[in-house]
Amino acid sequence: MLIVVRSPLPRLRALLQRCWGQLERGLWPGVLGGQSPPWGPALAVQGPALVPQGINVGESGAEAPSLLESVLWMAAPKQRRTIEVNHCRRRHPSKLIEVKRNIDVCPECGNLKQKHVLCGYCYAKVKEETRQIRMEICKKEGGPFNAPTVETVVLYEGEKPTEKDAGKRIIERARKRPSWFVQN
Amino acid sequence: SGAAWARGLLSWARPERWLASGSLFPLSCIHTSTSLQKIGKWEKKNWIVYPPQLPGEPRRPAEIYHCRREIKYSKDKMWYLAKLIKGMSIDQALAQLEFSDKKGAKVIKEVLLEAQEMAVRKHNVEFKSNLHIAESLTGRGHYVKRVRCHGKGMFGIMKISRCHYFVKLVEGPPPPPEPPRTGFDQAKEYVQQLRNRTLVHTL
Repeated sequence: MLIVVRSPLPRLRALLQRCWGQLERGLWPGVLGGQSPPWGPALAVQGPALVPQGINVGESGAEAPSLLESVLWMAAPKQRRTIEVNHCRRRHPSKLIEVKRNIDVCPECGNLKQKHVLCGYCYAKVKEETRQIRMEICKKEGGPFNAPTVETVVLYEGEKPTEKDAGKRIIERARKRPSWFVQN
Repeated sequence: SGAAWARGLLSWARPERWLASGSLFPLSCIHTSTSLQKIGKWEKKNWIVYPPQLPGEPRRPAEIYHCRREIKYSKDKMWYLAKLIKGMSIDQALAQLEFSDKKGAKVIKEVLLEAQEMAVRKHNVEFKSNLHIAESLTGRGHYVKRVRCHGKGMFGIMKISRCHYFVKLVEGPPPPPEPPRTGFDQAKEYVQQLRNRTLVHTL
């Protein structure tokens, strides 16, 4: 709920009105010399408007009236909406939250997961282990731009590098191999 | 005698404590701390103790009332979540709330887990999955007005809204959903109304 409070600027408005009046009088000096109402042509002849209608043209060519006057032309509610009407709109079935039918149980850990999304728990587990491996790699490399051109192999406690891991960089992790991290 | 009078005065507030304590500690039941100034009605609903049931009566299902006060969320937005889980079993409700993107879903999930644990520990519920949500409501918390700055020195007054959330868990499977009212039911009711008409002001 925001209520904009505009500080009134009467001086600025009066200044604008005076300026506009001066402008009008400057453009058409002869019109409002004696008579105040604008008078149209005496003969109703189809043709270009010979008498400049200063006020009408000025008003139609003016910019949009200031905010304080255009309030009369803004849309505003006429009646207070009753709570019953409000309830009909807010509690319409299209606005209620739908019951999700795509929730399953993860076969690995038993937590809940959405069918098209990875299990949150398993993903967090893998993410944590990856972070630990990356920390080991950082310690081995020592600084940036030291990545070797060979492959990397991660070995856990009690594992020896095989013939396939001949020329590869070996990263040691000081824990038992997790069940989900299959060795080659 | 003073202690007994004081205890008698507060027996309506803490009946289970009074019934349970057999010893005569003076003024031990009087709540003297000022932190919980006003205990809400929903919290008091957990304190009612029914008399023991007779052997032939059907088993009264356990009811657990829990709530959380002054949650920083709008009560109207929270209502949609409360409406979602009304009438579900607690497992289904927890599943729906876990995958909901709303801020209030996390809060309601915590409340439900707390209530489930309370049920198992204090309210003699055997299976924690055998609960369903009988009622779930939201209430308006305290609002505060703050100034929100716009450009050009203008300002607006915004209100920071808080809400309460109440839940009642009842032991047992959830009740089957009501079948929607068909045209046939409406026609039957209409015919029944016609048949119930009688002659008035006659013999």
